[in-house]
Amino acid sequence: MSAVLEKITPSAAPPAVTEERFVFTASGSEYFRIWIVNLLLTIVTLGVYSAWAKVRTHQYFYSNIRLAGSSFEYHGNPLAILKGLLIGVALLGGYQLALHLSPVAGFAMMGVMAALLPWLLWKSLQFALHNSSFRGIRFGFRGSLGGAYLNYLVLPIASVFTLGLLYPFVHQRIKRFQHTESRYGDTFFSFDAKVGAFYKAYGHLIVLQIGGGIALGIAGAILGALLGWAGLGAKAGMIVPFILIYPYMLCVTWAFMAVIQNLIWNHTQLGPHRFVSTMTWQGLMKLYVTNTLGMIFTLGLYIPFAHVRMVKYRLECTTLLVAGSLDDVSAVKGGEVGALGDGVVDLAGIDLSL
Amino acid sequence: MTDAIAVPGRFYDGQSARAHRVVLSVRDGHACLEGEAQRCVPLAQVRVSERTARAPRKLTFADEACFEPDERAAMESLLHATGHRDGSVVRLQQSWRAVSIALAALVLVLATGYLYVLPAGAAWIARALPLSVERQLGQGVLDVLDRHAFRPTRLPAARRTALAQAFARLAPPRDGAPPYRLLFRQSRIGPNAFALPSGDIVLTDELVTLLEDDQAILATLAHELGHLHERHMTRRLIQGSVVTAVGTLVFGDATSLLAGLPALALDLRYSRDAEQEADDYAAAMLRQNGIGLAHLERLFAALQELEEKDGAPPPYLSSHPPSAERLARLRRQLD
Repeated sequence: MSAVLEKITPSAAPPAVTEERFVFTASGSEYFRIWIVNLLLTIVTLGVYSAWAKVRTHQYFYSNIRLAGSSFEYHGNPLAILKGLLIGVALLGGYQLALHLSPVAGFAMMGVMAALLPWLLWKSLQFALHNSSFRGIRFGFRGSLGGAYLNYLVLPIASVFTLGLLYPFVHQRIKRFQHTESRYGDTFFSFDAKVGAFYKAYGHLIVLQIGGGIALGIAGAILGALLGWAGLGAKAGMIVPFILIYPYMLCVTWAFMAVIQNLIWNHTQLGPHRFVSTMTWQGLMKLYVTNTLGMIFTLGLYIPFAHVRMVKYRLECTTLLVAGSLDDVSAVKGGEVGALGDGVVDLAGIDLSL
Repeated sequence: MTDAIAVPGRFYDGQSARAHRVVLSVRDGHACLEGEAQRCVPLAQVRVSERTARAPRKLTFADEACFEPDERAAMESLLHATGHRDGSVVRLQQSWRAVSIALAALVLVLATGYLYVLPAGAAWIARALPLSVERQLGQGVLDVLDRHAFRPTRLPAARRTALAQAFARLAPPRDGAPPYRLLFRQSRIGPNAFALPSGDIVLTDELVTLLEDDQAILATLAHELGHLHERHMTRRLIQGSVVTAVGTLVFGDATSLLAGLPALALDLRYSRDAEQEADDYAAAMLRQNGIGLAHLERLFAALQELEEKDGAPPPYLSSHPPSAERLARLRRQLD
């Protein structure tokens, strides 16, 4: 239909918008098998296989993401990843050793790590995007090293010195950096969420946390006192506020996660194509509660299922409004990117997924 | 045979994101595309993506151009007809039987590693490392403790010298006991004794007062010397790092709260093993010097009393076996 329209309508008219949902076709049981084999081989090879395991896992997840009928692909080179991993092990091992040797050496090493981190994150972003492709066209990252230091080191430190008052601003700047400097082929992403919107989201979080916490604390204390008075024991009464507050705080956290995720993606565009994100706190709650219970009651065997469900939920909350067609993107040929930052970022458990 | 199979799909030329309608077929060892794009390249120059249940099996050419089939079935039969074989790991992942065996093997490897290989390996490395390396660990820890947890000792110098000399006269249960330094401190955290990798054995005034019995104090010191002699600090450091690393590997995908707990629980067992080893060392040392094990018993009894009085075990003891258990173990040895 849209192809026909394109031929008929003159180019001056606004292009027809088609709604393309992200679809994730991976299954927990299949990833479970990949996961088990990966783990066994990684442990038997004392960790060397982990680079291949990472590539296999990424290939599995990427190839199961579909958008507009095409799937994504991961191109990471296991040898490059292994090299990055070894450097990461050396760095983090040195850091751990320094901590054990003496507090002074530990602090010195902490400083070195903090100074290196933006550079490592920068390399890691380049690696991750450069090795992702869709329709035969690779993604990329052009952000400057200076930008990485500003956003990942200078601004966070400034936020600490303002007792976190600057934090929403820093969050907005980090996302802006990531999203405006990323590209798909020759088409750049753009980001127009305002700093004010971030402050509003964080403001709501704090109001809900403090206000709700106080209200529940009082309600719990009264309820507890009544229980104690009714002869059910003073200890039972003291527990009541905590039983109420913990689930409440979790719900607030999920609500915040959904709000921030929607804020970020509803203000991100790829060229003329807009993203729409419809994450809800109820969806996150269902996901987190069932995943956590699943992992506990299976002693961890549910982990791969949980992981697939998590990625599926996040992706399937997202839609791309394609203005016209995705055909106009051209490739930008560039050299290989080293996996140096990737190893450290992986080891440190930092999640950079866009 | 292969000529008969034609797979419709989309071709992306690697230059633009535009889809070209093509049909893939294999002729004379070449993969050929026909339709809105044409190309014919030897099969050896084409990469096929790994088989999974639902993801499309893509062909990627050397110039990153790729072909994405519309349907899985046609593509699978084409691959089958050309004699394409999945890698061994992929075949392993496809079979539930193989995965069950892999899971059993994984559990076996992890359990054996945790129970036997890692403790033995860590002990071997710790013994192979020169003592001077261990002595480098934990420098500055005593300074921190002195500033925050301790005050100078109030025990009379004569008493301190007497205890130190009495302990120095005892022969260790086997040769090669490392040099140590005995330090007395007044504690803000209650009765305690511990050894630092630097070779310092710290004894608090409170423990000296609590035990009263000098031989029991010597038993305590023997336990701490055991930690030093058995190289427990290095061994625990190695074991702890490996457990954390493997734990992160296995549970890494889980939420961080859950990820830390199993590693912590697993490490506690090593901690209790080390305490038992030090208890055995102390028992052997007392026996060697003709001191009755009843004095070691008194130490455990005193600790047990302390545990019961405080209700929950103090933090220091959470890494130790319950004193009642240590006492029972010692009594079994006595019988």
